[in-house]
Amino acid sequence: MSALLFYILGFIMLAATLLCITRRNPVHAVIYLVASFFALAIMFYLLGAPLVAAFEVIVYAGAIMVLFLFIIMMLGLAPQETPEGPGWKRWGPLVLLSSSLMICTLMLIFQDPAASKEIGAFYLAPQAVGEALFGRYALAVEVISFQLLFATIGAYMLGKPLSKGDQ
Amino acid sequence: MENLVQIALQNVNMAAILPSLVLTCFGMGLLLINVFLPRGTTRHAVWISVIGLVVTGFFVYTGWGNPQYGFNDAVANDNYTAFFSVIFLFAAGLTILMSDDYLTREGYPVSEYYPLILFATAGAMWMASGTDMLTIFLGLEVMSIALYVLAGFFRGQLRSNEAGLKYFLLGAFSTGFLLYGIALIYGVTGSTKLTEIGIYLNAHGSLLENPMTLAGLVLLSTGFLFKIAAAPFHMWTPDVYEGAPTPVTAFMSAGPKAAAFAAFLRIMEYCFFSLKPEWTAMLWVIAVLTMVIGNVIAIQQTNLKRMLAYSSIAHAGYALVGLVAANEIGYSGILFYMLAYTFMNIGAFAVLVLAGKKGEDNLTLEGFSGFGLKRPFLGVAMTVFLFSLMGLPPTAGFAGKFYIFAGAVKAGYIWLAVIGVLNSAVSLYYYLRIMVYMYFRDAEEDYAWVSLPAAAVISIVIALIGVFYLGIIPGDVMEMAKMAIF
Repeated sequence: MSALLFYILGFIMLAATLLCITRRNPVHAVIYLVASFFALAIMFYLLGAPLVAAFEVIVYAGAIMVLFLFIIMMLGLAPQETPEGPGWKRWGPLVLLSSSLMICTLMLIFQDPAASKEIGAFYLAPQAVGEALFGRYALAVEVISFQLLFATIGAYMLGKPLSKGDQ
Repeated sequence: MENLVQIALQNVNMAAILPSLVLTCFGMGLLLINVFLPRGTTRHAVWISVIGLVVTGFFVYTGWGNPQYGFNDAVANDNYTAFFSVIFLFAAGLTILMSDDYLTREGYPVSEYYPLILFATAGAMWMASGTDMLTIFLGLEVMSIALYVLAGFFRGQLRSNEAGLKYFLLGAFSTGFLLYGIALIYGVTGSTKLTEIGIYLNAHGSLLENPMTLAGLVLLSTGFLFKIAAAPFHMWTPDVYEGAPTPVTAFMSAGPKAAAFAAFLRIMEYCFFSLKPEWTAMLWVIAVLTMVIGNVIAIQQTNLKRMLAYSSIAHAGYALVGLVAANEIGYSGILFYMLAYTFMNIGAFAVLVLAGKKGEDNLTLEGFSGFGLKRPFLGVAMTVFLFSLMGLPPTAGFAGKFYIFAGAVKAGYIWLAVIGVLNSAVSLYYYLRIMVYMYFRDAEEDYAWVSLPAAAVISIVIALIGVFYLGIIPGDVMEMAKMAIF
C-alpha cells in the first residue's frame, strides 16, 4: 500500500507544483505550493523520517508560506479586480488535490502499523537526528548558526531606512 | 530519560579549523567594537581587520606541513588549504586596505563592511578545507551571503542594488544546481565524504556509467563553474562586477574565484578521479569557450570595470586549462596562477579606485586619457599590472601562464595550449589600449584627482611586490604549490 500511496503523492506533488507555477494570481500559487509541501511531508513520513515530515509542515508549509502570503499582501501583488467565472473552476483542482491528500493521510492513520515498513527500510527517530546534528555534524551546525548571525547583520545593513547622506 | 545518550562532540580537533576560527573571532569582535564607537568612524576597523588577517596568516603558516583533520573528516587543514588560505588572506587584506578612503568618498563610511569581508574570507577557507560536501556547501553559502550584501552595499545607488539582487538571484540559482548535484552523488554513493565517494565510485565500476552519477557530476560542475564565472555560466559577471563597489569587485574577482577553484579541484580529484577522461573532455570545451568569449567580448568594452570583468572570465578559462591537464604541473599551476591573479587583478582594481574623480567614479577609457602622465605612480603601477594580466615577463602573469600551459602540453593537450596562447595574444589588444589612452592621449580637462591615501598605496605596493616576486623568482612558490597539491 505504501507503494500505491507513493505514486498518488508523487502525482499530487507534480500536479500542485505545475499549477503553482502556471497561476496568474500569486495567492493561488502559494496555496498550491502549500498543497505540494503537504504531499512531500507525507512522502517523507512514508520513507521513515517523521521528523523531517513534521519540519516540512511546520517550517515550509507553515512559516515560510505564511511569510510568502504576508509579503504578497504587504506589497499588494494580489490582483484587485473581482474574479470571473464560476468558483469551482478556480478552486476545483485545489479541492481535488487537498481532498486526495486527506484521504492519503487517513489511509496512513488507519492502516495496519506493520505495513508501514514496506518502503521505509529504516525508521529515523528524532533522537537519532539530534545526535547526528550535534555529534557528527557539529561543525556544520556551528557554521550555520554563525551564518545566521551575519545574514541578520547583512539584512539589517541593506534594509534599514536610508539616512540623509545617501542619495 | 534513561535512554538519553551522552551527546559529545566527536573528533573535535580545533587545529583543523584554527585559521578560520581566529578570523571569525576577529570579525565578530569587530562587530562588537563597532557598536560602541560613533557611526562613521571606520579607521579602527581597517587596522583591526588587517591585524586579524595577519594573525590568521600566522596560524596558516604554522599549519604548513602539519596536516590536521577533524570533525569526522569534515575539514582538513593540510598544505592545500594553507596555500589557498594565503590567497584568500591576501585578497581580503589588499581589498580592505584600498576600501577605507573609497567608502568615505562615496558616502558610505559603514564599519560593518570589514567584518563582512572577513566572514567571506572565512567562508572561502571552509570551502578550501572542506573534505565533506556539507562543509564545502556551507563554506560556499557563508562566502556568498556575505558577498551578496557587499555587492549591494551602496544602498542608495541603483547600479549597486541591481548588482546585489542579480548576484543573489543567480547565485541562489547556481547553488540549487550544486545542491542537486550533491544530492544525486549522495544518492549513488550514500556518502558526503569526499574520500568515501571516491573509493566507492572506484570500487563499483558499473556506477561510472550510471546516468545518476554523470548527472550529479555535471550538476556539481555547473554549480562551481558558475562561481568561477566560466562560459556559458558567465552572464552575471559583467553586470555584477560593474555595479558592485570597486573594492568589492576586486575581492570578488580574486578570493571567491580561487575558493571555487579550490573546492572544485579537491572534489574532482578526491571523488571523481576514476571519471577523469569524462570530466577533462567536458572541461576542455568549457575552458576554450571561456577563454574565447572572455577575450573577444572584452575587446568591445569601453568601461574599464566591465573590461576587467570579461578579462576575469578569460583568466578563469586559463586556470581551467590547468584542470584539464590534470597533472602535477597543471594543478600546482592553478594554485600559482590564482595567487598571481590575486596580486595583479586586485592591484589593477586598486588603481581604478584611486583613479576616481572626487564624487564620481572614473571608469571609462576616455577618462583615462593622459592618466599616466598626470599620476606617474599610479600610471606605472597600472602598466605593470596590465603587463602581468597580458602575461608578459618578468611578471607573475607570465610565470602563471607558463606553468599552466606547460602542464597542458605535458598532458598532451597541445591544441589547448595553442588556443590559450592565441587568446593571450588577443588580450594584448584591449590591455594595450588602456595604456595607449594613459600615455598617448592628452587629458581633455583638468580633474580634481583624489589624493593618494596611505593605506591604498600600501595595497598597491604589496601587489607590485607580489607581481614581481612571483614573476622573477617563481621557483620557490611553485615548489610550495607542488607540495600543496595532493
